[in-house]
Amino acid sequence: MLQRFILSTVCAAAGLAAMATSVSGETFKCPHVGGNFTFGQEANINSLDQMTSSTISTRNIAMNMFESLMTRDENFNPILELADSMAETPDHLTYTFRLRQGIRFHNGKEMTSADVVASFDRYAKIGLYRSTLDNVDRWEAPDKDTFVIHLKKVQPTFLEILSSFNAPIVIVPAEDKGDPPMQLKTIGTGPWQLVESVPGGYVKMKRYEGYKPNTNFDQRTGFGGYKQACFDTVTFRIVTEPQARVAGLKTGELQGVEDLPTRSLADLKSDKSITIIPLQNWWIQIAQPNVSVPPTDNLMFRKAVQAVLDMDEIMDAASDGNYRLNVGFQYPNQAFYSDAGKETYNIKNPDLAKKYLAQSGYQGEPVILLTDKDYPAMYNSALVMQQEMQAIGINAQLKVVDWPTSANMALKPDTGWNIFYTGWGTNTALGALSSMQLFVEPAAVYMPKGGQDDPELLAAWNEMNSLPTLQGRKEAFARMQKYVLEQVYSLPLGSLTKVQAVRSNVKGYVPYRIPRMSNVWFEN
Amino acid sequence: MAGIIIRRLGSALPILFIVSLITFAMIHLIPGDPAVVIAGLSATPEQVANIRHDLGLDQPLLTQLWRWYGGLLHGNLGRSILLGQPVVYATMLRLPVTLALSAYALVITLLIGLGSGIIAALRQNSWVDQVAMVFAMIGISLPNFYLGLLMIIFFAVQLRWLPTGGYVAFSDDPLGWLATSTMPAISLALLLAGLLARITRSTMLEVLRQDYIRTARAKGLPRRLVVVKHALTNALIPITTVVGIIVSLLISGSVVTETLFSIPGIGQLLTQAVLNRDYPMVQGGLLITTALLVLVNIGVDVCYALLDPRVRYDGA
Repeated sequence: MLQRFILSTVCAAAGLAAMATSVSGETFKCPHVGGNFTFGQEANINSLDQMTSSTISTRNIAMNMFESLMTRDENFNPILELADSMAETPDHLTYTFRLRQGIRFHNGKEMTSADVVASFDRYAKIGLYRSTLDNVDRWEAPDKDTFVIHLKKVQPTFLEILSSFNAPIVIVPAEDKGDPPMQLKTIGTGPWQLVESVPGGYVKMKRYEGYKPNTNFDQRTGFGGYKQACFDTVTFRIVTEPQARVAGLKTGELQGVEDLPTRSLADLKSDKSITIIPLQNWWIQIAQPNVSVPPTDNLMFRKAVQAVLDMDEIMDAASDGNYRLNVGFQYPNQAFYSDAGKETYNIKNPDLAKKYLAQSGYQGEPVILLTDKDYPAMYNSALVMQQEMQAIGINAQLKVVDWPTSANMALKPDTGWNIFYTGWGTNTALGALSSMQLFVEPAAVYMPKGGQDDPELLAAWNEMNSLPTLQGRKEAFARMQKYVLEQVYSLPLGSLTKVQAVRSNVKGYVPYRIPRMSNVWFEN
Repeated sequence: MAGIIIRRLGSALPILFIVSLITFAMIHLIPGDPAVVIAGLSATPEQVANIRHDLGLDQPLLTQLWRWYGGLLHGNLGRSILLGQPVVYATMLRLPVTLALSAYALVITLLIGLGSGIIAALRQNSWVDQVAMVFAMIGISLPNFYLGLLMIIFFAVQLRWLPTGGYVAFSDDPLGWLATSTMPAISLALLLAGLLARITRSTMLEVLRQDYIRTARAKGLPRRLVVVKHALTNALIPITTVVGIIVSLLISGSVVTETLFSIPGIGQLLTQAVLNRDYPMVQGGLLITTALLVLVNIGVDVCYALLDPRVRYDGA
């Protein structure tokens, strides 16, 4: 017999968040309904198939139209979205979701558990991160309002994975189950429905009049909560040139934009018709050593690099001044955040670095810094690191290619690189598990020799996944982070801020991992 | 005339074959693949391998080449990996945008380039000539990206006459098309207008010094008739060559302008395809674009034949 819990109980036991409610307790109501909002998006979108794409540009738009069983709240904790309640059996192997009643897809069809089953079937077949369902034995729909997942073995972190927004299992009509990858019809259950998508041009959405808000909440929170479409239409216009976004914002053609260039900020701040909105903790800038090849296979050499780095200098160049120093692999507002290993961060001690360098036996061989110019933050941080490393006698050389090339090279240890530059945004936001999976095989980014996991690291990772208490898992994360930093398996440089802006008559816009268009309205 | 067209079309086939082969080789030989792009910033090697398998990118290169040509022979250029659309559909959706913009830019180029070139030649060494050539030099020297930004600041932000970007199809709203296309077309056209002005001027000067022009003037023909009928008609042959090149440059060189003004044209499509290693899109899109440029060149050849009877007789 199922032992029923409300989600908050389960979440407390599992170390996840309780349902969020508004501070005031009043349910959100659009102060003004109407108007056409245009948002200037920096990157092109490819497909709107949210199951098979993890690109930020797709998520920015698609997650305003699609919803899933579970998602994340404002602080990235799991919450229910299309499910009304969830129960877990005492053996922790079965999760039963009761669906919210009266939810309709944008085509007018009522959502039932058959649609949830079909959506999971499609994801298991072609979903981008379908391996996250490897531990699922089966799913079923005993009645039209119930969806049940049976696990093969206990997985305390299952809900965290299920609620991931990286390439989420969005719920779509059962008849779209056979849609090939990247070709999913854009029919969801969200407050916005698709009007038209012109790749490279724009995506236009309109308010879905049949939307039923989630009354388990009073306000929008994260990707979920109580959502309302206040505008008549929202258009995401692709404006890849930063100065064109600035111009569009100034003229009022665009009412919201992302990624404003720092050089324009002073001018924009003096404009009373514009409100600047910084989105802190957009991503953690990472310099990733390759420990399979010399000289970065030598711990003392890696410690020399770590000791010389001045993170303020690096992050200032990387972000044009929009950054925060940040120890480790989580942001301070997250449940698992820890400053464990802080003594290894921002040491900026050239004398100590030279001492480590001498101990490493370094003979001046080239050290290849693999970076790209597609992401200026990556290139600029590599450039400053090169100077700082050269200052203590390291023969640091830049290898600049485009992003697909560098990302492809970084998948293998023998492609001629010592330190690879990247950024962890979504993974960090998704939580400690999502971040730290990148230090164990088959995903170990530091390229352990022979593909063999460091046993100490692996032990901490296993504890992160299996310990029954939240406190235990948090401690395991802190231990793992400290060990990674002490072994210099990674060099987290700091946290980047993404600067967004809206016209001053736009109210309710709060920056998040995507530009959320619900619960946002025009003042006049 | 039909013989010329048929022969040119026949010679285009090996060109298209060679282009398709080179494109396939180049896009596959450069490092990186679409799986990495689809997987995102911090994907695991396992996830990348899964995607690669799904897309058939783990197949030997020759197998992929065989499939590509097999599809091509059936008129199937494949499906864009990232857009999820057939390559032909995605290309044909964008091509009219670029062609409309290029046509508008061509009109501006011809008006400014031919007009200023002819006037400069007729007023050689006068202040008109000096001013026209200074503007031509500015047009050639100013990067169209920079010019576009200046125009956005001046015409859109300061004067609020034109929108900062975006695109409205002519069929949807002709005035909207004019508003959204004017700045992009001017920024595309000025560079080429400068080039055309200089070439028109030098060609006209050369023709104006010919004996038959002197004879025409000596016969007492009106100056306008001499310039238009005798000088310009003869000068048009080299100018037509340049205009053919200009059309090619307008079609292939629109990427910067399309990016700056957020215009969903073929240039932006193919650039994104290359950057994201969308193999079918790059291969198919470039093949279609090449075919288009081949057609432009055939058009230029036809113009030669119309302008110069000797070409007609040689080709007959």
